[in-house]
Amino acid sequence: MASRIEAKEDAGIPRQSRDWVPLIVFLGPALVVYAGFSLFPVLKTIYNSLHVMKPHNVVEFVGLGNYRSLLTHDEIFWKAVKNTALFSVFGTVLDVGAGFLLALCLFAKVPLARFWKIVWFSPVLISYVVVGIIWVWIYDYNWGIVNTVLRWFALDALAHSWLGDPHTALWAVLATQVWKWAGFNMIVFMAALYGLPPDVLGAAELDHCGWLAKLVHVILPMLRPTVVSLLVLSLIGKMMVFDVVWIMTRGGPLWSTETVSTYVYKRAFDWNTFDLGYPSAIAVVWFILILVFVALLTGSLRQRDKLEY
Amino acid sequence: MHNVTAPFKKTLLLLFVIACTVITGGPFLWVAALSLRTTPEIFDHPYSFPMHPHFGKFLKAWTQANYGQYFWNSTLVVVSAVFLATLLGAMAAHGLVRYPFRGTRATRFLILSGMMLPPQMLVLSLFQIMFSLRLYNSLTGLIVVYVATQLPMTIYILESFFAHIPQDLFDAARLDGYADFEIFWRIALPIGTPAVLTTALLNFIMLWNEFLYAVVLLTDNSKRTLPLGIMFFMGGHQIDVGMMATGLMITIFPVLLLYAFFSETMIKGMTAGAVR
Amino acid sequence: MIRKIGITCAVVLLLGLFVRQLARPQAAITTLSIWSHEADEPAKVAVRERVAREIERAHPGVRVVITWYDSEGLVVALKTSLPAGQGPDIFYIETDWSDLITDGYTLPLDGLIDWNTIYPWARKPWIYDGKTWAVPQEVYTDELYYNKKLLANLGFTLPPNAQFSQEQFLALVKKARAAGITPIAQGVGDRNYPGAYILTQALLHKLGLNDYGRLFGGHLSFLDPRVVAVFRWVKELVDAGAYPKNFMTLKLAESHYYFYQKPGAVMLPMGSWYTGRAFVPEDEGGQPGDFPLGIMQFPAMDDAACNECKVRAVGSSFAINAATPHRELAAEYLNAMSRPEIGTLWIDTVHLQTAVIAQGSASATLYPGYYKELMARQEGAKYFDIDPSDFLEGACLDTYVQVMNSSFPGGLLSVDEAVRLMNQACYKG
Repeated sequence: MASRIEAKEDAGIPRQSRDWVPLIVFLGPALVVYAGFSLFPVLKTIYNSLHVMKPHNVVEFVGLGNYRSLLTHDEIFWKAVKNTALFSVFGTVLDVGAGFLLALCLFAKVPLARFWKIVWFSPVLISYVVVGIIWVWIYDYNWGIVNTVLRWFALDALAHSWLGDPHTALWAVLATQVWKWAGFNMIVFMAALYGLPPDVLGAAELDHCGWLAKLVHVILPMLRPTVVSLLVLSLIGKMMVFDVVWIMTRGGPLWSTETVSTYVYKRAFDWNTFDLGYPSAIAVVWFILILVFVALLTGSLRQRDKLEY
Repeated sequence: MHNVTAPFKKTLLLLFVIACTVITGGPFLWVAALSLRTTPEIFDHPYSFPMHPHFGKFLKAWTQANYGQYFWNSTLVVVSAVFLATLLGAMAAHGLVRYPFRGTRATRFLILSGMMLPPQMLVLSLFQIMFSLRLYNSLTGLIVVYVATQLPMTIYILESFFAHIPQDLFDAARLDGYADFEIFWRIALPIGTPAVLTTALLNFIMLWNEFLYAVVLLTDNSKRTLPLGIMFFMGGHQIDVGMMATGLMITIFPVLLLYAFFSETMIKGMTAGAVR
Repeated sequence: MIRKIGITCAVVLLLGLFVRQLARPQAAITTLSIWSHEADEPAKVAVRERVAREIERAHPGVRVVITWYDSEGLVVALKTSLPAGQGPDIFYIETDWSDLITDGYTLPLDGLIDWNTIYPWARKPWIYDGKTWAVPQEVYTDELYYNKKLLANLGFTLPPNAQFSQEQFLALVKKARAAGITPIAQGVGDRNYPGAYILTQALLHKLGLNDYGRLFGGHLSFLDPRVVAVFRWVKELVDAGAYPKNFMTLKLAESHYYFYQKPGAVMLPMGSWYTGRAFVPEDEGGQPGDFPLGIMQFPAMDDAACNECKVRAVGSSFAINAATPHRELAAEYLNAMSRPEIGTLWIDTVHLQTAVIAQGSASATLYPGYYKELMARQEGAKYFDIDPSDFLEGACLDTYVQVMNSSFPGGLLSVDEAVRLMNQACYKG
């Protein structure tokens, strides 16, 4: 009842100004929370990155000093950059490739497709902490399944401390990552595959086009937008990778799995220095790099068609 | 020719599919088996079936190993944050769609760019900010941070859904004398239920699994969420693989339960957040 | 429908949170707040909480609230709150957090605490400028534990001073490996110090207290011939297979199990907190009742400056916030914690050495041989009072952890690479 009366009273007020109150009511709370706990921290991180924080709450302005020492003589940072780059590129390709392969299997009308799909997607839903711990066990030197299987086949010589060797650790973590995310890419590919116009596929069939030829010449070009979005998405995710590395190796051995994110965390909370300035500078540099990468990638693979899902 | 190779190909394909399923599903079954066995049993035979299942381990994990507390903390934080993020997000999405003003585009851009922010850009200074607000090491603080970080994606999904609701519906309601908030509550939200449910599920999964903010913003053992609890149990005093497996199952269980009921919605939801 | 249920649930939960916040104790007149590390060690939690309850019983109207942290979180919380004049009345402190003392955040305790129940040497590390700044609770030495039976089986006899020479030690490692037994059950899967035990102790023997301190203080080069000689000897041990194949991923608790259960090893270098894991019932992961546990000295180096040097450190200790309004009450808590009965309770339930002069402990009667042997190994020793992983910081700490703790003993680095990396990160010239 009250609202009716209100509405009548409001009727005379010009539309423009009347709309401000509900707009603020609707948009305000979200904006306040978002600005206070997302935007403000970002600005503060940028501010921090220009300072060095010393004991006794002494904050000293150093301008671009942090950036200079970061880019010129921080060996570990460059190791972390190299690892993150390897991880991102190979991880992205393997992830998206595996997802595509799985989607094709289901698309090829395998019996019980729905069931497989549900199982294959399940790792996506599980916390990295859980996944990491399970895979640390899987790689365990003495009783992990990987070495157990190798020993079954009498390949004892290949049994290995997978996470303990700087040559294999990054790849071992990478395999875990692919295991977790392949199902995600599969689902997106499935949607795209089923969205393909059936007559095109039919026409290719009539032309006695081989299975592989059909894949390469017909299906893949049509999936281009999907592939591009998934590549970008996967790349961004991997450039920020933290949880899985932290749980499985903490960046070791010999910095062979140190990623930019784990390095930021270590500098901030593990180095006993309590300087938040330097790690903030790393975070800022990395954020800019991610933005540039995404811009380049989407730019060079420019596609008008936006993936509708 | 075709007839000979087709069944062969089919079998090969099926074998591949089964291999993939063993690789993805196997670890879950293995952990489920471990969760019902004691550590000495596991070290004797890591891969045997739980012949004498110790269901009591779950009770022990819940009460003695503190998983009950962690579970309650996780539930409290995640449910509150999902509720708030969904409510605030839906309101903001509605506002953006139905009350265009000069700054709409800029506001939308500002909010949606939040989806690109690496957590590392936030977490270092959030730590300082939460401390000065006395929200460090508090579940309330973690809830606020979770809401803030999940808002952009929530708004992104809901906004596109709300935009598809015909404006006529709203005009008609206004003519009927509905007030602004009533329009949102009685029309936009009910029609948007599928999208709201999707975002809620998506937020639930992401926050239930969240680790970085939690590890930086919480330190007190009695406030840890499940991922933190398990992580610290792993680094703890004794090696108790059996009890850890039980803890892992307790963490996975709510997610699997939801998945069993809403598998299609969850699959759609998870991918909707990423590629629309 | 689902939505309504969901909303109702959420509202109820939010209300619950709110009520919990409101329901926090406000009735008590005084709250003594304590921030403590070691949330993950139930026996320590039990001792400290028990003393808290005693204080509450003695003073109606006083509540003692202990907040349990992990050490990273606690350091961060202290460093952020103390400068702001906040923080608890009492806080846990370790010897490497001395900047909290030099920055003036702690109260001098000389007149407040009854020091008669605390070993004077355990108090010593906390004395700066002639005043005592914290009350030690836990103490430990670094020891080299071994399996007496395996050592005898391999045909080795420990000399009367319980110390092998560096050649004998190398021979022992080789012989054990040849017999298919892991010489040293050590792993660095989850800690930043155990892999460096043999190396740092050898350095300590070779260099003596002063130069050892200079080495890690950045004032002695890692290219010093004595340092390089020690690295070469350790490299020989590593190449002879001193450590398990899964050294890089073996966790601390697993290395204990490895040593006394399966598959078994000759030696385990460990802080004397070894007993905290070993002296619990066997089905909770402890050592077998009849395990032939022995303690030997870390090997003597040739041309060494101090073969009788050992590492001893004060572990968990407590300080009082300089800004506390309840200093008498806080001191009373710390005094209650340092009573001989509590020292005994500590040894019996936590199974660790304590700074408190305890009386008639049940553990001491349960494991009489052990405590006698421990005392014998500690007799006449000269002590370096801290472990490098506890006082290094920044790039030097990170490199120490990666190189000296894991990759070098893990066999991944040559001597030259290892000393070069260390020198680059730690040596200040």
